[in-house]
This record gives sequence, structure tokens and C-alpha cells, in this order.
Amino acid sequence: MSVKSQVIVVGAGPAGSSAAVGALRGGATVTIVDRKTNVGIPVQCGEAIGKTGPSVAEIKIPEIAIQAPLRGFRVYSPGLLTVDFAEEEPSGFILDRRVFDKELFARATEAGADSLLGARVLDLTRSNGTVDGVVVRHDGKRKTLKANIVIGADGVNSQVARLTGLRKTYKPVDIDSCFAYEMSNCDLVVDDLMQFLLGSEVSPRGYIWIFPKRNGRANVGIGIGGAVETKTAKEYLDHFLKHHDVAKQQLSNARVIETRVGALPVNGPNKTNVVDGALLVGDAAGHVHPITGGGMGYAMVCGSIAGRVAAECITHNQVGSTQLQKYETEWRKLYGAEFDQSLKLRELLLKTDDDTLDRLAKIVTGESIVKLTAGKKVKIFMKAMSTGDPKLISLMNELRKLRMV
Amino acid sequence: MSPTASSSKKKTEKKLADVDGELCGVCQACATVCPVNAIEVTESYVIVLPAKCTGCGVCVPVCPVGAITLIER
Repeated sequence: MSVKSQVIVVGAGPAGSSAAVGALRGGATVTIVDRKTNVGIPVQCGEAIGKTGPSVAEIKIPEIAIQAPLRGFRVYSPGLLTVDFAEEEPSGFILDRRVFDKELFARATEAGADSLLGARVLDLTRSNGTVDGVVVRHDGKRKTLKANIVIGADGVNSQVARLTGLRKTYKPVDIDSCFAYEMSNCDLVVDDLMQFLLGSEVSPRGYIWIFPKRNGRANVGIGIGGAVETKTAKEYLDHFLKHHDVAKQQLSNARVIETRVGALPVNGPNKTNVVDGALLVGDAAGHVHPITGGGMGYAMVCGSIAGRVAAECITHNQVGSTQLQKYETEWRKLYGAEFDQSLKLRELLLKTDDDTLDRLAKIVTGESIVKLTAGKKVKIFMKAMSTGDPKLISLMNELRKLRMV
Repeated sequence: MSPTASSSKKKTEKKLADVDGELCGVCQACATVCPVNAIEVTESYVIVLPAKCTGCGVCVPVCPVGAITLIER
């Protein structure tokens, strides 16, 4: 059977399109396949992205996908004390993911990638144990597409991850269950900050988000721990919208114009994302921030690295895991420490009760935190110590171990 | 879409996960946690394969809209 193209990318989201662009830049031929026929739909995301990711990946954010510039975020503690983490200038954007995903995908095809939509991956093909293609169901028929390297960019429920054995299944505790509304007629108190609400009452093991969009619209959603059995994500969000003071203040006139669901991996990257002839990127690789749930920046950077490394390996005609390991080494160099630290911080936050979070917020509320300078960290630390509050002191000591204060 | 029951599998499990297609938004949370790969995802719906589903119920609480219930086989 003839080779469809040198690289087959499974999944046409930001990770897949970035991987395709990376491989094309490296001189490889690429085909992007996706289970869906409409890329970018349905939206399953909070739609926030920092400027850094796209800039490192050297992929320009499509202007028409930008909904609002962001300077940072505001966190509400369980007792509703607020702490702002904001810069003077915009450091990121809220996007329209429908437009964003479609644009990145379109650009990848304009840069030379072939596309096959409505193609669901059923299996992988192998030669001497090395992955060398995918079997898809397309147009009602089973088809085999051969390649030198397969890149799995097929999301949290990645078939490539399952079929390569790189990730079999998630424990409920390792995913977040998400539900969101896009709303109109919002009266947001800030239009250039994301708002996050913490607390076991509003959102156990997760948070509620309010992200500003154009024309008084907003993306209002919730992510709760997948193992939470008390109520569904939707029930928690509906309860918040009906009864919570923040919702009464900002969303009492709001109307639902779209509903969204999603699932997120929150236990960090897979142990490895490389096998002979295949690699994983994006949510499939577990490249999602364990606390914020953000993943688009990682998807674009790691995706473009994966594409470039794949093209290099094809040029040298060596597509084994030893050669593809270069991808692992490169992304870990950029983000390995960040993932490790956030996973530990996540554990710490999950075992911190609402009351202690409030006392921590009380220490830092009113501070406009742009960057936590060494001096500011010491000041916050000393202030917490001077309270004599044992729970808070223990939390601060843990935070200090993680170099957060 | 008429699922065929497996004849080889012993019918020791009495429960089966059932997805309410009108509530389901195809987020795939259920499929990511299914330990036996019994949930197939297409573009617009998910299918529980009765021959594979063991009725363990791990998919029930992860559903953000409560679309999954365990029913008697």
C-alpha cells in the first residue's frame, strides 16, 4: 500500500494543526484526519490563551478569533475575598474557539497539509512493531492510511493513546468534568480579567470561571473533580447562577446562548508520549495545566516541536522511539518543571480547606500582584507567620517548599 | 445502531450504562474513564457497547450533565 503522507496527524485541534505546521516546516508531507466534519465545533473550553505559547510556537493568533484582550485574572476565595493577578498590558486573549481552531486548521492546509474529515480512527497499523499508519472509518468504509509517523492529537479520549498503550484510561479523580454557558447581557465588573471562584460549596475540587467576551457576552463555566458524586457540573453551575452573590451582581440579566460540555485531564503529562513510529501531543499527551486546566499554549508549542522532530526523524529515516525521544526531551526542558510544580500545588490546594484559603486570601487581598518578586514573597510569608494561625503557617511552609512564596 | 449482545461473555453483570442522547453533549468524559473501552464516540453521539459494559458505573458521576444512568439488563 502506498504511503498517504509521511506524517499523519490525528485530530485537527490546536495541537494537531500546530504539529502539522511543525512537520511541514521541517519538509515533511502531512495529512490531518479528524473524526469530526466540523473542526472547532462543539466548543469544549474556557477559550483563554496566553501570548507566550503562540509566540514560542511561532504561530500567529488569528485576529478574527480574538474576543477580548486579557491582563490577568481575579480569584475569589470561598469567603469572596478577591486577589488580582494582573499586568499593565494584555498578556493573553479570550478566543472564539470555533474560529480559532478552524483558522489554524485552514492555515495548515494552506501551508500544504492534506485533510480527511469524518474519519474515525479504528486501529493503527504496524510493521515490525513500529506504528506505520492508521485504519479509519470514512464515508462508511474502512480505509488504511500509511505513514512514517503518526501524531496523536486526538484529545483527552485519544484513540492513538489507547492503541499505542501510552494511556489506557483515566481514573475519575484524574479528570475534571466541565460544563459551561456562553451568555449574553452580562454586566461584568471587569472586562479584561478572567474571574475564578474557588470553594467546596461552589465548585468542589475545581473552580467556576467567568471569562469576558465581546459585546457584553461571557463564557461562564465550571470544572469539578470527576470523582465528585454529590451533584453534576451542570447542577453546580445552575445553582451558582441562581443563588450566588457574584452571579446576582454580574449575571442576573444574562441569557444562555450556547451550552458546552467538556472533560480535562488534570494529572499531568503521560509518563512518556513516544513509541516507535508514533507520538502524542495536546490533551492526548496530558499537556494540560493541572490547576487552571489551560492547554492551548502547551498544545501549540509541544505540537510544533513534535511536528519538527517527526520531520527530522523522517529525513534521517529513523522513526524509532529512541529518535522520537528528542520531542520528549525538548518539551520537558520547557515545561517539565512547571508541570511538576503545579501538580504538587494542586495536591496542596485540594487538601486545603475553605477556611484556610480565606485566611490566605486575607493576607494578600488588596495587593496587586503583577509578579511575585522575592521581596514581596518574603513580605507575604512574614505576614502569614505573624498571624500565629497554625493551619495557615503550615500552608505557607508547604508553599515555600514549592518556591511559591 | 442495534448493539449485539456477546454470547461468549458470561452474563454475570446485571447492570448496563445507559446514555440519554438528548442530554449528552459528547464531551467524552465517560469514554475516558471507562476501564473496558465500552463507550464509542462518534461526531454527534456516544454508544455504550452492551457486550463490553460491565455496569461498573464509573462513568456515571463524571458526566457533567447527568446523562448516564445504570439500568437493568
